[in-house]
Order: sequence, then structure tokens, then C-alpha cells
Amino acid sequence: MATLEMKNVTKQFGRKVIAVKDFNLEVADREFLVLLGPSGCGKTTAMRVVAGLEEATFGQIIIGGKDVTNLPPRKRNVSMIFQNYAVWPHMKVFDNIAFALKIKKMHPQEIEETVRRVAGMTNIDMLLDRYPSQLSGGQQQRVAVARAIAVSPDIFLMDEPLSNLDAKLRVSMRTELKAIHDKTDATTVFVTHDQSEAMSMADRIVIMRDGEVIQMGTPDDVYHRSASVFVADFIGTPPTNFLDVQVFSENGNISLKNQFIDLKLEDHYSKALDSYNNKNVILGVRPENIEITDPTKSDMAADCLVSEPQGSHQVIAIQLDKKIMKIIAPAVMKINPGQRVNLLFKQETLRFFDPETTLAIEASE
Amino acid sequence: MVKKPVKFGKLIRQTIFYLFITFLAMVILLPTYFLFSLSFMSTREAYEFPLPMAPALRVDYSMTYGKRGYLLSVFDNNEGDYQTVLDTNDLEKMSEYMRYQLGAPMSILEIEEHVKLLESGTDPVKFTGKRNLWLNYGTFFSITRNAVPALIRSLQIAAMTIGISLTIGGLAGYAFARYVFAGRDALKFSVLFVRIFPGVAIAMPMVIFLADLGFYDRPIGLSLVYSIGSIALTIWITASIFLGIPVSLEEAAVVFGATKFRAFLKITLPLALPGLAAAAMYTFLGAWNETVSAIILTQFNPTFSVVVYQSLLGSVGQVNLAAAGGLVMALPSVIFTFFIRRYINQMWGGVTI
Repeated sequence: MATLEMKNVTKQFGRKVIAVKDFNLEVADREFLVLLGPSGCGKTTAMRVVAGLEEATFGQIIIGGKDVTNLPPRKRNVSMIFQNYAVWPHMKVFDNIAFALKIKKMHPQEIEETVRRVAGMTNIDMLLDRYPSQLSGGQQQRVAVARAIAVSPDIFLMDEPLSNLDAKLRVSMRTELKAIHDKTDATTVFVTHDQSEAMSMADRIVIMRDGEVIQMGTPDDVYHRSASVFVADFIGTPPTNFLDVQVFSENGNISLKNQFIDLKLEDHYSKALDSYNNKNVILGVRPENIEITDPTKSDMAADCLVSEPQGSHQVIAIQLDKKIMKIIAPAVMKINPGQRVNLLFKQETLRFFDPETTLAIEASE
Repeated sequence: MVKKPVKFGKLIRQTIFYLFITFLAMVILLPTYFLFSLSFMSTREAYEFPLPMAPALRVDYSMTYGKRGYLLSVFDNNEGDYQTVLDTNDLEKMSEYMRYQLGAPMSILEIEEHVKLLESGTDPVKFTGKRNLWLNYGTFFSITRNAVPALIRSLQIAAMTIGISLTIGGLAGYAFARYVFAGRDALKFSVLFVRIFPGVAIAMPMVIFLADLGFYDRPIGLSLVYSIGSIALTIWITASIFLGIPVSLEEAAVVFGATKFRAFLKITLPLALPGLAAAAMYTFLGAWNETVSAIILTQFNPTFSVVVYQSLLGSVGQVNLAAAGGLVMALPSVIFTFFIRRYINQMWGGVTI
């Protein structure tokens, strides 16, 4: 197990395409780090640079304090789980797992023991004599995991390992992968475009866009303290609701207004929004932070467009002009399409973003 | 019982379909049968008109006194009567005639017995000779002096051609499938250009070129010439096979401790085996059957196909011998194809990659 450090890593394809831009990252020992972003954001490329499958154009990769930037993949002691599993179809499961161990010239007895041990961990001990084509997708995935554990690597790299599985299997494999991570104590870098996967597995999430890091933090950080409109929109289902509002400051009382809303803010926001008097800001509010209430307390009222029951709760969609706002409400509440609903915003959870930079407006201390 | 209505449209379609299939089968099977049966016929049968459907298994003789000695007649199925074939008192000549012309060898001692019977008053003496169907095959190898060395040479040439074109073509196919480089598609297409030129058209330059290299009239020279065409084919076959093997399989091997070369050897190559087998089969058939260039590019050391071709020529040329030679020549192709078919069909666990 080891730490991983990426210093100013840039990866360029040809002259024009910059897949990863000046990427800096430190992964602590035993940490489970998730690289999250929409497709084409460079997260997979960043991981392949760590594995050594791509050469970094600039920058350094340091694993366990050792500079591995110019070493071939086999000398980096990393292991990888591929999106399409990449189990070798002409080898039995046993040989797939034993491949790396044989190259290491491990004693046959020891290979046998290691393979049986990791196969036990991943519940494939009954399948060692089979060929991959005789296995289901989930089983092939386990073979790929077993193969990766067997080499006891410094760094575990997982490239969207769950995206080829069906929805139900994906959720259960999540739990298993996390459990295996805890058992093996491996430093793990996990790439995904699925934010719920990232939220549920990560110790820390790195959100990327266009080859750059947008935000780095714990799942709580990126969810509750999103650094930009992009992050607030990307994380969470349904995503954050955004409202363009104008700030009015009178005698220290700040209120936000637009054609639908007239919201009086609590005092602690005054510092952050002081400089935005009479200017526009983007108000971000998570669906679960809007309460449906009675007319006396409401911040705004609107008509319900549809209600989407989810069992444990329901999602109420309301139409504001051309935008649709989503609200999470208790399942017991009965709301019909077209019905007028009164909304109360939970003040302590509001986020404000600058309309020009789209970055979060924080109170300057 | 419910009577099903007859659907005439379907009936007609099916009839036409089966007629067509039968026609196709005839086109393929008839010439093969023709060659097969011809190779077992005696010279007399082979030049009969109309040609018998199958070689006879026995010859009915009738012997009587002739002008020069003994008059030998054989029963002719077309005429329905005995036909005189030989008038001689030389029994050795008669024995040889029976062997080479009638395909039913009989020793002089046996003939003498029939002659004795004739002299003791039975006139004409009727007797039968047993056909030896394999006679043509023996004769083919005995009258064409260099058939066996030519067979060995042909095998050498085929093996060398496979070796050269799989090595060069396979590696080139891998490069075309895996790497992006300037002019890749143009180059991949242009390797087919070498197949445009007819072998005969470039034969003279080839003779001079090979002579300069010291490869004229040697197996290595011919296998180089054959490789030109089969490398192009191998590149196209193997490139498409390598394209079908996911890169991530190799990448996984590289991450798990293999060098690039080892990853190719242990992962990609075994997976590409069916494609390589197909390419090997095409190459073998091409090199084994090629005749035109072989005639021009060899002199004293011909290939087997040249020997078979020559057995048709000149005063010694006989179609039945050529047929026997042709079948001998077809045999290795058939064996090789059946052998390699296992690899072409071989897919792990019954499912493709």
C-alpha cells in the first residue's frame, strides 16, 4: 500500500487535444478516491497516466515516494480493473488470476494458495476451471477483481468497473468493492461518471471537467458545499435547482427577488452578498431543501406540473417560466398536477453563485 | 384428418431452390468424380469414346491364333463384342501390354498357361484378368523420374511461404490494426497492388532477379515469389482479426507485469490463431497449386504441380496418369485444410471473443 502523488500532470494527444491539464493530486495511503466527471473530461486518461498506459506529456507521477513517471506499467506495481473487465478469453479463470504471479516467478504452491485465497474473497472459488465466456458479466467482473487483488498492488486503479453491469448488480457490486477495499487496505483510485456511485463509495471525490479539476473534497463537501454551478448541477438526483435572482439590500436586510419569488434572507448571508447589491446572482437550492408548506409561511407559490412517486418519497416538478424545478416531498403528501403549492426554502442550505464565473459566492472572512 | 391446402408458390420456390442446389453440387462434384474415376482407368478405357462412367474391375480376354502369333481380343462394353487389340508371338510384349494399356497385369507364366490351353485345342481361349486400380499411381511415379523430390520440394516451398508471409504479414497486420501512423490506410490498400500484376507478366524480370540473387531454380526463390502475393492477403486477414481483439486485453497484461512483447505472445497471438490459420490455409493452397510461375522459375528442380502438368505433355502424356498425379497433388491440400480447420473453428468455450 502506498501514497500516490500527481504533480502538474498534463496529457496532450497530438498538438491540439489536451486531455488532462496541469493535474495535481495527492492520494493518501488506504484512501478511496473517486475521479468523477462527464464523459470526455479526462478522468480515464488521468488514470491511464498513473497506470503507465499513457505517457504524461509533462509532470510527475510519484507512487510511495518513488518517481515512476518514466517506468513501464509492469514496474509500477499497480493493478487495474478495466471497464470491459479485460479477462483473457483463452485462459481459464485460474490462469487469468495466476498470470501476473507466474510472471513474478512465484512458487507454484504459493500461486495456488494465493489464487484460492483471492477467489474466496470474491466468491468465484467454484469457477476456477471455467473459461470467461462461460461466466456471466458479474462473474467476469469478479475475476477481474480477483486478478487485481492477487498481485497485492500499491495502487488499485478501477476504470468504470461497474458501468457494464445491470442496475441491480451494479449496486450490490458497489458494496462488495467497498468491502474488498476495506479488507485489502489498498489505496484506490476509482473512475466513474455516475455521481451516486461516487457519493456512495468515495472517501474523497475529485470532480473533473475538460481535463481540469473543478472541485476536490469529501462527498459531503461536494454535495453541500458545491464550488460551482457545474458541480451543484452534476451531483445529486434530482440536481440542484437554480434560480436567477436579483439582490436587494436595505438597512442590512437582504432580499432576493425575481418574477416568482421574494425571499428575505437571514442575516448571516449579508456578508457574502454585500457586494452584489442590485446585481444578479444564481440561487442554488437542493430539491430536499424546499418544503411544501401552508400559504402563511411560503416564500413562493407555483403550480405542480407532475408528481413522480418514488416509494419512499415523491418528486414534485413545478414549472417556472421555461425551467422545471424539482422538489422532494414526503410520499404521504397528496399533490395533484395543476395544484398550487406553497414553497418554503430552508435558509441554512442555500448556495449562491456568481452568474459570470458560475463559481460559488463564499463569505469572505 | 384435415387436408392441408397445397401452396403452389412455395412448392415452386422450393423446387427451384433444390434444383439450383443440385446444379451447384454437380458443378463441384462432377469434375471431382471425373478426375477420381479417370485416375483408376486403364489407358484403353481413358481414351475410349464415350468415356465409361467408372473403371472396370476386370478385363475379359479372348485369345486365338493370329497372323503373327497369338491374337488377343478384349470385350468392349460399348460395342458389346470382342475387339482385337494385339497380334504377337512375344508373350513378354503381351504381358506388358496388359499391364500398361489394359491395367490388368498378368505374368508371362499365367499367359503361357492360356497359350497351352489354346494349343491343346480350345479355340478361342476365354479368360479374365483382374484389374489393378492403383496401377496408374505407381506408373505415374515410375515414369516421371523426379515426382518424389518434386513433392518434397513443393512441401518445402509451401512451408517456407507460410513462414515468410505469416511472420511479415502477421506483424504488418498487427501494426495496421494497433497503430495510427501517417499514410496507414493508403499503405494498407497499396499492399494489394502487388497482386494486380499477372504472374506471367512479371515472370521474366523475376527470372533475372532471382538468378542475380542465386535463387533461380531453388525452392527459396519460388517461396519468395509466392510470399509477395500472400503477404498482402495475410495482412488483410490478420489486421481484421487483430482489430477484433480488444486492446484492453493487452493493456491488462502489460499492467499485470508483462512486457509488450510478452503480452503479444501470450495474449494477442493465441487469440489471433484462427485468423492466422485461415491465412496459412490460403497461403498453403496458393503456394501448393501455383504452376505458371513455377514452370518459368524452375528448370531442373520443378515443383510437383509442374510435374503433373508435364505428365500431360508429349508422347508419354496420358490423361489417366495425369489424373492420378492430380489426385496425389490434391491429397496434401485436403489433409492440410482438414487439419487447420480445427484451428479456424476453435473458439474458447464455444463462444467467440
